Formats: sequence, C-alpha cells, structure tokens
Amino acid sequence: MSELLAFLEVEEVLLEVLVALGPLVLLFAVFQIFFLRLPREYVLNLIKGLFLSFLGLVLFLQGVKVGFLPAGARMGEILGSFSQRWVLVPIGFVLGFVATIAEPAVRILSYEIEKTSGGSIRAKTILLTLAFGVAFFVALGMFRILWGIPIHYLIVPGYLVAVLMLRYTSPTFISIAFDAGGVATGPMTVTFVMALAVGVATVMENRSPILDGFGLIALVALAPILAVMGFGLLYSFRKGK
Amino acid sequence: MLSELKESFMEVVWAIAPLTLVVVLLQLSIIHMPLVDFVRFLIGALLVMLGFLLFLQGVKVGLLPMGEMVGAELPKRAGLPLILLTAFLLGFFVTVAEPDVRVLSHQVDLVSQGEIGKNLLIATVALGIGIFVCIAMLRIILGIPIAYLLAGSYLAVLALSFFTPPDFVPIAFDAGGVTTGPITVPFILALGIGTASVLGGRSSIADAFGLVGLASVGPVLGVMLLGIFHR
Repeated sequence: MSELLAFLEVEEVLLEVLVALGPLVLLFAVFQIFFLRLPREYVLNLIKGLFLSFLGLVLFLQGVKVGFLPAGARMGEILGSFSQRWVLVPIGFVLGFVATIAEPAVRILSYEIEKTSGGSIRAKTILLTLAFGVAFFVALGMFRILWGIPIHYLIVPGYLVAVLMLRYTSPTFISIAFDAGGVATGPMTVTFVMALAVGVATVMENRSPILDGFGLIALVALAPILAVMGFGLLYSFRKGK
Repeated sequence: MLSELKESFMEVVWAIAPLTLVVVLLQLSIIHMPLVDFVRFLIGALLVMLGFLLFLQGVKVGLLPMGEMVGAELPKRAGLPLILLTAFLLGFFVTVAEPDVRVLSHQVDLVSQGEIGKNLLIATVALGIGIFVCIAMLRIILGIPIAYLLAGSYLAVLALSFFTPPDFVPIAFDAGGVTTGPITVPFILALGIGTASVLGGRSSIADAFGLVGLASVGPVLGVMLLGIFHR
C-alpha cells in the first residue's frame, strides 16, 4: 500500500514545471509591460490558461513518473529476458505507435498545423503519419539491438536520405517534418520505448543500456522527419495529377 | 463550452486509451508484472488522462495565444538586433530551465567518465539552441528557404559524426530532443506562427513552422563538438 502513496510526492515535478515555465512568463511579462499592454481581463484569461496547463502538466508528469515509469522498466526487463526475443520487434512497433499517440507535444503540433493550414492538413493525418513512422523505426531499432547492427548504419543513411528528400519536398512539409522530429521524443516514448531498449540491452551481452537506449531515441527523432516528408511527396504528387 | 469540453475529453481518451489497452493486454498475456506495479500503472493512467485534459485546455487558452502575440509584436516593435537578442535569450534560458537537460547531463557525465561537467554541457546545449533559434528567426524574417539551412546543418552533423567518439553520437542526436518539452513546444511553435503572420505575403505554413526543427540541430552539433574536443 505504501508504494501507492508515492503519487502524493509531487514537489519535484511541481518545481520542474514551474522552472520550465519561468523564462516564458518572464518574456511575456516584459512584452506586456513595454509593448503589448493588453487589457487586464485578457491577461487574466491568459493566466488562467497558464495555471490550467501548469496543473495539467504536473498531474500528467506525476502519473508518468510514479505510474508509468516503473511499469515501463519492469516490462522492459521481463520482455528482455524472454527466450523468444523476436517478439520485441512487433511489440516495439505497437508500443511506438501508441506512445506517440499519447505524446502531448505531438498533439499540440498537429493541432497547430491544422489551425495554420486552415484545415487543409488535418491534425489526424499528421498524428497518424507520425505514429506509423515512429512505430516502424522503433521496430527497426529493436531489430538493430537484437542483431547487434551498429547504430551508425541506420542513422547516417537515414539522415542522408532526409537531406536528399529536402530537394524534392515542398517547404511546407519540410518545416513540419523537422518540427515533428523534435517533438516525437517526449515523456511517453522515453518511458515505454527506451525502457524496452534498456531492458533488452541489460540482459544481452555486449550491449550498453545507455547507448542502445539513446540510439533508439535518436531513431525515434529521425522517423517523423522521413515519414512527414514522404507524406508531403505523396501529397504533392497526388495534387499534381 | 460543454460540447467543447466533451470533444477534448474524447480526444484525451483516444490519446491515452490505446497505450493503456496495450499494456493491459501485455500484462494479461505474456508479461505478468507484479500486481503493485500494475496497479500503479492504472492509477498513473487516470492521472495522465486528467492531466492531459487540463494541459490541452490550458495550452490553447494560455501558452499558444501568449506565444503568438509575442511573436507578432516582435518584428513590429523591435529592430533586427533586438529580435535576435530576444530569440537568443529565449532559446538559452528555456534550455537551462528544461528538466530533460539535467537528465542528459547525467548521461554525458557517465560516458565521458566525469570529464565533461554538468555546467559545461548545459552551457553548450543552451548556446547551441540560442544560436539556432536566432538563425531560425533570421530565416523567417529574411525569407531564406528552410531546406538550405537544414541541408547545411545536417550535412555538418553527418560530417562531424565521423570524428565524434562513438559513445557520443547517439547522445548527441538525443540532445536534439531535450528542449522540446511539453511547455516549450507550444510557446516556440506559437512564436514562429506569430512572427510569420505579420510578415505576410509568403507561404505562411512553411515560414511559421520549422523553428523547433532548426533549434534542435544546435545541441546535436554542440554535443558532438564537446565529444571531439574532450578527447
């Protein structure tokens, strides 16, 4: 029972989120005082929103830290010591998919894209493209760890392909693709996807939990770049027809 | 208001339910983790859902409009040097404040056997982000195609990766993700959208996005350089 009380220890997460908000609030305050001078009522509304997002993020991160992290680590350990290791490839795929869907920053990005494009690029489309991209690369990453393929062999060609694709993709999708790459690696992917890699690497010989774990996250960051640019190529191709 | 809340609620259920379902199915079929861990996971899922709901609502009425207004005001009121200074300071301090940076510094400490100190690493990453946020703002204002900048930076990253000690490569790539926490992303996204919106006449999506993507190259280059010079 006492282990469930860990949910009540929120000080650390509370402080983290507060510190992360600090510079942004400060910047806004400077702008409000010197340039913007928005009406009081409007600012009060913004502060309400800020407070809501603060509270929400604290609950979210606390749930991840106390509830998900131990479960993720335990899952990684148990699956890593499995005798039939190939199951990690499909499980990696599924976990990569559902973790991306649950990533808050990914939601915000898709929402902003739909809003800015006036609805011509749907949030759901972006979300699913990202989720499939990440799922595929997590599966690939698990395969790499199991068969001991050096991470360079995936990352270097991956980024080379990305640079090549820049030539053929429209600027709209380039911008979105690279933003998505930065956004896909959040608390959820780290909890479930990295835990899986660390679990396997701990059990197998000649594997480093830190490097293999990080290597997988590097692949997760590459996945949306390729997926969204690929989607963009398809999109302009179909439009051109 | 009520229908909007219902919509957000459904969105959050759709976000968290698949993950929860997968873990529950795995637990019942093959993994059998200890009951305590499983119960903690379920309580965690409830907290995460509630938190997600509040967070999304709050971001939409708080952080996003804040970022957009600052972004739109910046090019109207300030000259180029002041814009760049603001962009640099924002990138730098947001990074210093990001909790993930501390996790990263711990990992780098481990692979460098303690030779690369925490403060040096945080300063490098923050400097990398600051410089690249500047470049990204400059790009929006001057209308430089993002493809050139990305191609240049990633070719540099690839070239450097051959000289970087192998231990540092995956960590360097991971460093790109550290400033993109759930608080920073909405604000930085909105900042770009706001800035692009007042500099009208151009394809707004291509200009509005890309700030986060460009900013994440900075730390990758920074950590690689650290790795090279530390040997």
